[in-house]
Amino acid sequence: MLPETDLPAYPDSVAPPAVVAVALRGLTKQYRGRAVVDHIGLDVPRGSFFGLVGPNGAGKTTTLSMVTGLLRPDAGRAYVAGVDVWADPVAAKARMGVLPDGLRLFERLSGPELLGYLGRLRGLDAAVVQRRSVDLIGVLDLAEAGNTLVADYSTGMRKKITLAAALLHSPPVLLLDEPLEAVDPVSARAIRTVLAGYTGSGGTVVFSSHVMALVEGLCSHVAVMNHGQIVAAGELDTVRGGAASLDDAFLHLIGADDRGGGDLEWLRSSPA
Amino acid sequence: MVALFARLKWSLTTGRVRAAPTRGKVAVALGLAFGLLISGLLAATFIALRTETDLAVPVIGSFFTGQLLAWMLAPLIAFGVDETIDPRRFALLPLRPAVLQRGLLVSSLIGYLPVFNMVVLVGAAIGLSRRWDVLPVAALACAVQMVTCVVCSRAASTSMATLMSSRRGRDLGMAVGIAVVVAYTGGSILLNTQRGGDPTGALGTARALLWGPPGALAVVPGALLDGATGRLIIAVGTATLFLLLCWWWWHAALRRSLVTTPSTTAGSTPARAGDLGSAVASSVRGTALLVAARDLRLAWRDPIRRLPWIVVVLFAVAWPFVVQGEGAIFAVVLGSLLAGAQTANHLGVEGSGIWLHLVAYADSMRARGEMLGHAAASLGPGIAIIAAGLAVQVATRGHADLLPAAAGLCLSALLGALGAACWLSAELPYAMPQSRTSIFTSSVAGQKGRSAGAALAVLGVGAATASPAIGAVVAAVTVDPAWGWLALVAALVCGVPVFVGLVLLGARRYLARGPEILAVVSAGDRA
Repeated sequence: MLPETDLPAYPDSVAPPAVVAVALRGLTKQYRGRAVVDHIGLDVPRGSFFGLVGPNGAGKTTTLSMVTGLLRPDAGRAYVAGVDVWADPVAAKARMGVLPDGLRLFERLSGPELLGYLGRLRGLDAAVVQRRSVDLIGVLDLAEAGNTLVADYSTGMRKKITLAAALLHSPPVLLLDEPLEAVDPVSARAIRTVLAGYTGSGGTVVFSSHVMALVEGLCSHVAVMNHGQIVAAGELDTVRGGAASLDDAFLHLIGADDRGGGDLEWLRSSPA
Repeated sequence: MVALFARLKWSLTTGRVRAAPTRGKVAVALGLAFGLLISGLLAATFIALRTETDLAVPVIGSFFTGQLLAWMLAPLIAFGVDETIDPRRFALLPLRPAVLQRGLLVSSLIGYLPVFNMVVLVGAAIGLSRRWDVLPVAALACAVQMVTCVVCSRAASTSMATLMSSRRGRDLGMAVGIAVVVAYTGGSILLNTQRGGDPTGALGTARALLWGPPGALAVVPGALLDGATGRLIIAVGTATLFLLLCWWWWHAALRRSLVTTPSTTAGSTPARAGDLGSAVASSVRGTALLVAARDLRLAWRDPIRRLPWIVVVLFAVAWPFVVQGEGAIFAVVLGSLLAGAQTANHLGVEGSGIWLHLVAYADSMRARGEMLGHAAASLGPGIAIIAAGLAVQVATRGHADLLPAAAGLCLSALLGALGAACWLSAELPYAMPQSRTSIFTSSVAGQKGRSAGAALAVLGVGAATASPAIGAVVAAVTVDPAWGWLALVAALVCGVPVFVGLVLLGARRYLARGPEILAVVSAGDRA
């Protein structure tokens, strides 16, 4: 039986200003006494393309899961478009589109069926859902898949259909966890084009990634996470500072710039 | 290399136990004790037949045939239970097929099931030894039987390894599983209808099986004692030839499987796909219709969801024929309980796919609608199947006057089980393996107790909800069939409120516990 849980003991906080699309205030999550997200605070400006970067285990997915309502925080608040996600989830979920990493879909529905179902589950009119689904499937280059079941989709196709589902209700904020991970270049291009158009029309994108070159090429703002904490955040140029690239700045920020490849002499001496 | 395979299988077998929590270890110990008890009883039966020379050979020969069939069918029904069954796992290792084959043969002889089989075969060897001096030959015949079972089973499973990794293959597995259930039910009905009859027909069949490959091994000790050289040569030749053929089949299948790409599942894509009705989740009714349409579509496409419904049909329509007397019509209630249980753990069926609902809404209206939708997807087909089961009983065995009582009983049980299934889906969810390598594996390691508890609770609440109707049924059978109408009233007065109350309670728990439910059921993604 699942334990009784109430809303976490939120600290008193100041509501985010209207120009902030996503705001985190003291957001915390612990597993077995260890804080994997440790009282983080962050403001994501409205209309920005915001990259959340960090090494594996930094807490990016945990943070995004708490912001999207999929993981209950132990403390702190998360605001999306000015709405407290955990105090008013009904309003918050209408304002966000979500693409999580590694979670399943309804595998035995086709792409159009999945979009039709999720759109109408959100209460959209059937004709509106139909029209938007056709548009999204066309733009994301999924038309050729036809009635193929989602179970038979490639990784890139899965990311694209999930992105389509996230965009279907035209939310002001998109929260994407590794949207381009293991995606082929053609699909990646389609996703980047759609996201660029979305931010160009005033939408806000928050996405996590390991790929610094991608973040550097796409984002207007960036936050660097390490060991459950935000170690730097702001406009891309500010975070990059005097470093040659975001990659260098990132390695410096997480204290990994002095790590070499190790001594693997045997790898160069043994042919078999 | 062979010893390495033996150690691998031993590690896999013991590793599961070591990694299990205390409850799991106790369950394994109990299962082991139960298996040894059953196999020991079977062995004792064979030993007792030792002095019954006319019976021992045909009975043990028939057992050999059944044992071989069981070994061949087991991987088809429960593919994925044994990691070493799928040869593609070894495809990247620098192993020659001949070495791999010998290693897999030895590893197949290690585990709980081989131990149970060997215990029975020890009994069979003693049962086949009319005189003690022939015991070594009987033991050798039983050892060959064990190897034949393993080789034949491996050959079949290797041939089907690629197929069984696809949905079409699992459809085939489902068909075989159903055929086994139908054969069992048919056999039970046949035995019931011929109770007290002449068993010589069965004995004749058993004697005929002695000419087949595994049955022939049972003939060898007796033929040696009797000096029946011709029969001995035929028996040994048949068994040896069959074993060699199976070994060659396995070898060929192994060579092919190591260089064959797994089949895609695209072939099972539905040719006709459409939308899921026109309902919109702007009301409880709209949400319920939308969710029910989705559930029915998935149930139609997914063999793992279809199989339980076929079992419901079997228990609602065929099973009552096994029951004798005028009370047979009430046996349909078992189908009712199982129909209600189809909604059990509906939040865990799609694994972490539940996130799609969790990010889409958070209001109680749609949570209620979703719960009702899941219930409706079982209620509609359940009522239709139960009505069919009752109609078949009335048409074939009469007692139409008991129909109101039976209908009330079945409806009460269905509503109670369905309500409990909805509530427990949110209260006691459990992860279901999403790899779907076995259509008969319904929960992941570490959550077996949780799934068993939920299943028992669903059936228990269904039975408890039906208890007022049971009183009316007793009155209808013992006093006057007119009392049966009270069972229908009980279904409305008791069953409907229980159903509605538990569905609403389930919706509330679902809304309050969404993230925690997601965390529990997501464990199925990795299993």
